[in-house]
Amino acid sequence: MNRSVIIAFILIIAGITVFLSASKDVSTYANFAQAASGDKVKVVGQLAKDKPMEYDAQNNPNQFSFYMKDDKGVVKQVILHQPKPQDFEMSEQIVVTGKLHNDIFNANEILMKCPSKYKNEEIAVREQQD
Amino acid sequence: MSETVYVGEHLWVGNVGHFAIILSFVAALFSATSYYFSGRNRDAIDISGSWNRMGRIGFSIHAVSLLTLIGILFYAMYHNYIEYSYVFNHVSEDLPLKYILSAFWEGQEGSFMLWMFWHVVLSIVIIRTTGKFEAPVMLIMMLVQAFLLFMILGIHIPWGDETLKIGSNPTTLLRQVNDAPIFANAEYLSLIKGRGLNPLLQNYWMTIHPPTLFLGFASTTVPFAFAFAGLWYNDHKEWVRQSLHWSLFSACILGTGILLGSLWAYVALSFGGYWAWDPVENASFVPWMTLVAAFHLHIVSKNTGYGTRTMYFLYILTFFLVLYSTFMTRSGVLGDTSAHAFTEMGLEWQLILFMAFFALLGFGLYIYRYKSIPAPVKEEAVPSREFWMFIGALILLFGGILIITSTSLPVYNKIRTYFNPFYEGKVISDVMEHYNKYQLWIGVLVALLSSASLFLKFGAKAWEVQKKKYGYKILAGIAASLVLTWISSLLLDYPSWQYWVLSFSGIFAIVMSIAYMIKIPQKSFKLSKAGLSHLGFGLMLIGILASGLNQRHISSNPFVFKNIFNDEDVKKYVQLIKHRPLYSQGYLITYESDTLIDRERRFAINFQKLNEKMEVQESFTLYPHAVYSNDYTKVAAFNPDTKHYFNKDIFTCVLSLPPAMTSVEEAKMIEDSLKYVDYPIAINDTIQIDEYIIKPEMLTFDPQHQDYNEREHDGGLGVRIAVYDTKEDTTYYATIAQGLEGALVYNYPATISDAGMKIKLADSTIERYFTPDDHADYHEYSIKKDETININGYHIQISELDTQPEIDGYKAEDGDIAIAAVLHITGNGIDEIAKPLYVIRNNQQMGIKSLSSASGLHIRLTNINPETEQFTFSIAAEDRKSKEVILSIATKVPRNDYLILQATIFPGINLFWLGCILMMFGMLLASIKKYKQSRQ
Repeated sequence: MNRSVIIAFILIIAGITVFLSASKDVSTYANFAQAASGDKVKVVGQLAKDKPMEYDAQNNPNQFSFYMKDDKGVVKQVILHQPKPQDFEMSEQIVVTGKLHNDIFNANEILMKCPSKYKNEEIAVREQQD
Repeated sequence: MSETVYVGEHLWVGNVGHFAIILSFVAALFSATSYYFSGRNRDAIDISGSWNRMGRIGFSIHAVSLLTLIGILFYAMYHNYIEYSYVFNHVSEDLPLKYILSAFWEGQEGSFMLWMFWHVVLSIVIIRTTGKFEAPVMLIMMLVQAFLLFMILGIHIPWGDETLKIGSNPTTLLRQVNDAPIFANAEYLSLIKGRGLNPLLQNYWMTIHPPTLFLGFASTTVPFAFAFAGLWYNDHKEWVRQSLHWSLFSACILGTGILLGSLWAYVALSFGGYWAWDPVENASFVPWMTLVAAFHLHIVSKNTGYGTRTMYFLYILTFFLVLYSTFMTRSGVLGDTSAHAFTEMGLEWQLILFMAFFALLGFGLYIYRYKSIPAPVKEEAVPSREFWMFIGALILLFGGILIITSTSLPVYNKIRTYFNPFYEGKVISDVMEHYNKYQLWIGVLVALLSSASLFLKFGAKAWEVQKKKYGYKILAGIAASLVLTWISSLLLDYPSWQYWVLSFSGIFAIVMSIAYMIKIPQKSFKLSKAGLSHLGFGLMLIGILASGLNQRHISSNPFVFKNIFNDEDVKKYVQLIKHRPLYSQGYLITYESDTLIDRERRFAINFQKLNEKMEVQESFTLYPHAVYSNDYTKVAAFNPDTKHYFNKDIFTCVLSLPPAMTSVEEAKMIEDSLKYVDYPIAINDTIQIDEYIIKPEMLTFDPQHQDYNEREHDGGLGVRIAVYDTKEDTTYYATIAQGLEGALVYNYPATISDAGMKIKLADSTIERYFTPDDHADYHEYSIKKDETININGYHIQISELDTQPEIDGYKAEDGDIAIAAVLHITGNGIDEIAKPLYVIRNNQQMGIKSLSSASGLHIRLTNINPETEQFTFSIAAEDRKSKEVILSIATKVPRNDYLILQATIFPGINLFWLGCILMMFGMLLASIKKYKQSRQ
């Protein structure tokens, strides 16, 4: 058999193997109901602004607690094992990565979508400030 | 609609700018067309042919108008013409000049222009050095330029009910892109302020990283253009012989650009690492991988004729990937997944067109010519260098495909959602782990191949003779690497067998490359460049292993949590309270002070390394800092500081600050929530609040208070306060102050965080010691120059007369007669100077009073009699017998004297940088060498 055919064959086999094994690394954004399995998932939602937020740096700087509403409207407490992110209150959308444990979502990663600083309305606001 | 005539706009900038864009675009198309016809007559070629000349003229017009555009926009930014949207969004009045360049390429349009600028520079080099390949290469360069200009064309075509917007013109007026009501005002310019450059980007990295990266991107066009030339002319030898230096140069610059980006992330941003597999990083890294694979096959093709087809494919793919990465980072498709992609700008379809055009041109021509690209019938010999280089290139390509496939997940999601709006997007759950676990094997294979193949010869020359020797070399290399890997495991931790393998391969690459280069001197020198780069690759792998797997957090937090997360990440931050040392991981860490300089608040963090006997072995201070936003109202970013050793780095970064220090708004909210209670109290008396006994210990009229001293006051007072904590049996000290400037009172409170207390002087305090002028009891005193006035135990003497006085509140005018009496006040343990001013202006007498803070004397110079030489002073003396102050005290005040710190040791990180630098340096040397060869 031609050697380059063998090489191509090996590469294709390797590619398929990687593809199959990597499909485990991929998940959809979950909601809290789907997180009940206890696996590590990413949950998308919004900050529940009417519920308390707690960050006590003196007690434990690596723990910030808040409530989040997922896209199905379920609200659960989230404990983020990190200092409270900046501009947290301003976030429009939150993605937390972690596991649900005893009905509390423990997150070790957070991504926030904040209103773009390039919004047109801002020009008018600026005028009043100056 | 009535036309508003706007005040202060510089409309010529926009007119000239837009004309330059269009001219430049047309000229690029004209030049491309001319070069196309010039290239078609290849056989009849002479460099001075008329099509060729037209091509060059077209290029010159294109270049001049493009440079004019860049110059004019730069001029507008330099002069802060914020009527232009691009200027408004990227520059502000207070932006330091040194950041104008950064501001220029902060936005999409600016970075397109930077990219085009480099194409112009490269085109000049091409025209001067390329000879008979000028036409096809320049054809591609001009087409790419035309497409880039297409992105900033700024033409609006009515399309049914809508307007088709082609490109975003950087010289568009702000009022053309905004509908804000402010533009109804003809003088709107005097009301608005530019937004300025994002504070995160105000550093020299932003000045050097983008130009390097874009030169890297621009330079990938050249090998692509040569490959196009080869396919077009069906000549697969000549350009291969001529252009290797371009590919090496491009790989070197693109690699350096990427490296500068990761160096920036590591040194100046709070990421705490140099590589995060962020989509934006991947998008420029993958073309680099395929480019490296391509130039290796270029070397193979040049030397043996093998691998030509794959090389073509890789060059076309590299350029396509550069365009694809442009699409991903600029179309907004990465929005959710990347920390630093651009936001949407409505250019998506143009970017897709750009990609599609060159994909069709490149891959189409490739398929069309595929059969006629020569490929030797006989296969490469297995023990030949070309065979293993080929395998290596395939592995790099494979690694690149893995990365770009995962990175493209958001693109895939977007396409699926397009057809099915209910499709749920997919994401990679653990990004770092996903990429690391596959790329580790790419690293292993590349390391092994790149070093073992160094000793092989092209065409397996004299293999039968060399066979044994080669076997011994490899065996010796393996043996030495095994020993070294074992030694390295004493220093570094390898958590799983995969890392043992990676470590072995990295060390094997180092050993073999060094062994290869030591043999060199007898031979020709050029070979060692490969050795240098491959050595760099090995070092880089070991650097990654050392710094990535073995980083240790000094700031390890004692709170171990629930066992839900076992990784170090969740407990790597500690809280440091000012002046309160914290012992962690062999270091005594102290937050010593914070200083606000301009927009940066620097925190002095002292580290003392202690040995087992708790003796200080080493002491150093690091200064991580917080950068406030352009309007100073809140913290915009935290920047780290790093202590470098030859074998490790100690990296520190502030993660969080008390709310009162984070934003003006929060500080105000906290202040408003405090409840102050006033306590009139004599010096040395005490009051008790809860477990705290408060005692003003000393009253001074010359307060030593950091903030007080920053401002000039007419007078002021300070009180030193001791707060005794009966529970803890400790005393805290603080100084509060109050300053008077004209009729304004400035307060300088103190927060005693340990007692949760904030203390200030009630406003009425200062009136007790500084009577308002209209209530002051003035008396007149007339003296000669050598006489003394005695009041309340003070002696006042005229020490000199100042006829050109410089005094606050006095502006000299022509015709003024101004005299200030410099008075020396002594007595009651006080030694002070007072300087009342006497002015005659237009036959009218005026004066400025002098208030002496310590002695409490208000002095006016009311008359000077030149005949009798009598000076008349009007003096009021303060009665300061009763030493009572009014303290305003709030309790339960939140702490404001702490910070959250991350401190991490990165061992062996210098190996990573050294390895990368060697790799790029090897490519650069090789590029220079190949350029010289191609000129012979």
